Amino acid sequence: MRRGSWHQFGDRSQKLATEMLGLGTGVGVIISARDLSFQKARHYADIYRGLGAEVLIDLQFYVPHFTNPKLRSYPFGAYRLAIPELCRLSDHEVAGLASPLEQIHSRIGANAVIAPAVAYEAGQNDIAILNARLFHVAKAVGGNLGIPSYATVILGQSTTTSAATMDAALSQATALDADGWYYAFEFSPERVPSDPDTVLRCCKAGLTLACTGKPVLHAYAGPMALLSHGFGSTGAAVGHSQNLWRFTRGRWSRAKRGAGQAPPRFFSTALWGTIIYPDETRRLPADLRAAILTTTEFATPVFSNLRWDRWSANKHFVAAICQKVDLISRNTDPRTCARSAVEVLQSALSLHDRIGATGMSLRDDTNAYQHSWLQSLQRLLTEADADYNYLSLLG
Amino acid sequence: MPYVVRIEDAAAAYPEYRFMTPLTASEQKAAFHVKDADGNDLCLKIIAPDYRVDRLEREIRALQLIAHPNVVRLVEYTFSSRPGSLRHFMVEDFVHGTDLSARLVAGEQWERQQAADFFAALFDGLSALDQKNIVHRDLKPSNIRVRNDGTPVIIDFGLARLLDLPDLTLTCEGAAIGTLHYFAPEQFVGTKHDIDPRTDIFAAGVLLHQALVGQHPFWRLGMSSQEFQDAVCNSEDYKFSGEFGVLPERWRQLMGRLLEKSRARRPRHAAQVSAILRKIRTD
Repeated sequence: MRRGSWHQFGDRSQKLATEMLGLGTGVGVIISARDLSFQKARHYADIYRGLGAEVLIDLQFYVPHFTNPKLRSYPFGAYRLAIPELCRLSDHEVAGLASPLEQIHSRIGANAVIAPAVAYEAGQNDIAILNARLFHVAKAVGGNLGIPSYATVILGQSTTTSAATMDAALSQATALDADGWYYAFEFSPERVPSDPDTVLRCCKAGLTLACTGKPVLHAYAGPMALLSHGFGSTGAAVGHSQNLWRFTRGRWSRAKRGAGQAPPRFFSTALWGTIIYPDETRRLPADLRAAILTTTEFATPVFSNLRWDRWSANKHFVAAICQKVDLISRNTDPRTCARSAVEVLQSALSLHDRIGATGMSLRDDTNAYQHSWLQSLQRLLTEADADYNYLSLLG
Repeated sequence: MPYVVRIEDAAAAYPEYRFMTPLTASEQKAAFHVKDADGNDLCLKIIAPDYRVDRLEREIRALQLIAHPNVVRLVEYTFSSRPGSLRHFMVEDFVHGTDLSARLVAGEQWERQQAADFFAALFDGLSALDQKNIVHRDLKPSNIRVRNDGTPVIIDFGLARLLDLPDLTLTCEGAAIGTLHYFAPEQFVGTKHDIDPRTDIFAAGVLLHQALVGQHPFWRLGMSSQEFQDAVCNSEDYKFSGEFGVLPERWRQLMGRLLEKSRARRPRHAAQVSAILRKIRTD
């Protein structure tokens, strides 16, 4: 697993990924079977690989009975069943998943198999057993193809309410003989996770996975990718859509969600958050505006107060996060990465204070989480000292 | 109660071997140091008539899967029944030396380099089991032989669990068998699904603590079994003993990790522990 930021997109984003990789931003791409047909996945995988990226495919098994035309183009439709039905499959039937998995991964030329899995739930041993059975098939496929097999560890909300339930789920997950972890944490449905205790648990769980000595790919990280390397991740997955900024099962419901006609948001590396362009940025004093408008290849118009379209804003968002995350990830010591993230957040909070002092309040509540994240990271550095020490021992 | 067979009776029943000495018997097997016709030193284990054959099959399968210098080698397994003659036995390499129990003396502490070398090799053996998806489940001093050159050999796979067996129901009784003093928390309070290679890593951590500190991390004289279980599952008092406190920092860090209550927080692979021990041996 390559170290740094990974692109994780939904639909209509493949060209954006290509553009990013062309600029040298990001080390890999996670293709979503929910959002890209098998035929197109193969086509774009070749392009991504040609641009030097590693390629993975997330089969999006989290709500396993969910399907759509894109998913139906993959040869594993027979396994898109409700969890109880999957649990009832015989060993022989589960083993039958190997053939489509191998077909998908070999045709895409994936660098690793991400094992299909459902979210772990507290007190549900049957889910842990199901995930183990699915993983064993994925492991065999990885073995046949000569590529690593990553176990998918999605901690469902029921497991994350206490240290004990989370620990039980992690003990079950880490029993798998995985070559790496594809990790996500289910947060409550808010735009960006902001509860400090929950964010801390997310970081601690990631660090526990990292302490297995196997690489961790923090999936659905979004802006939280700032924290990923600080809890020992090797990769952090970034996408522009808000439903990719945290793991949420809403992504697998059939309800349509439109982005509306809101003005583009400008992601400011300095704020580690967004600000609405041009409405809010225009109202800032010049010195603050200069501090906040951090540039990327896609943000040129904003410095001249020109019109800026949403796709450019999306590209800027991804580029800004990936470039900062890649900078942090150059240091391989997680503790140092966590401290770097602390500095970013402290600086962001100071800027937010200055904005507040002007009497302006940001409409999207985009200053709602930085303080929580800072608290979480500071507590992580103190409370997870033993984990950081153990990672050093392993290193 | 151990299954005891008099050496004279054993010699009469197995005339192809020369019986040297009886070895420590277990509930399921009477064991002897024997020599074969070529003079090779072997360990012959006569299996008790009431021993669960299904459990024995696991032991045989486990041993046949592994070829490693720190894991005992199975030479032969025979079950034959003729009128008036039942022969049910297994033959393993005989390991010249002693049990680890003879080396773990209360109040005596090993030199750290000696401990690093010995336990790195022990974890190498556990790693060989891990690679074959086998959990020993009964790692204890009497199941570790120490060769005359000081290297360890893991023996007695009577409770070993092959994690990839389709039917694991036999392992349900894990909590009723095995040796409590080296049980991991999940063996007291868990189910069969909670047993994995990290269960053996915990037991090896207890042994390493005994070697380095000169006492068991959880067991104290006069403890009831419930108190002992509570200590294994909840206490970290061992970290406050003077002997533990004077260990170099990286040794304490490793020890703390081996003895974690939660499997998720223990080292995932025995090979990682071997590598760490080799790294910190001169601390």
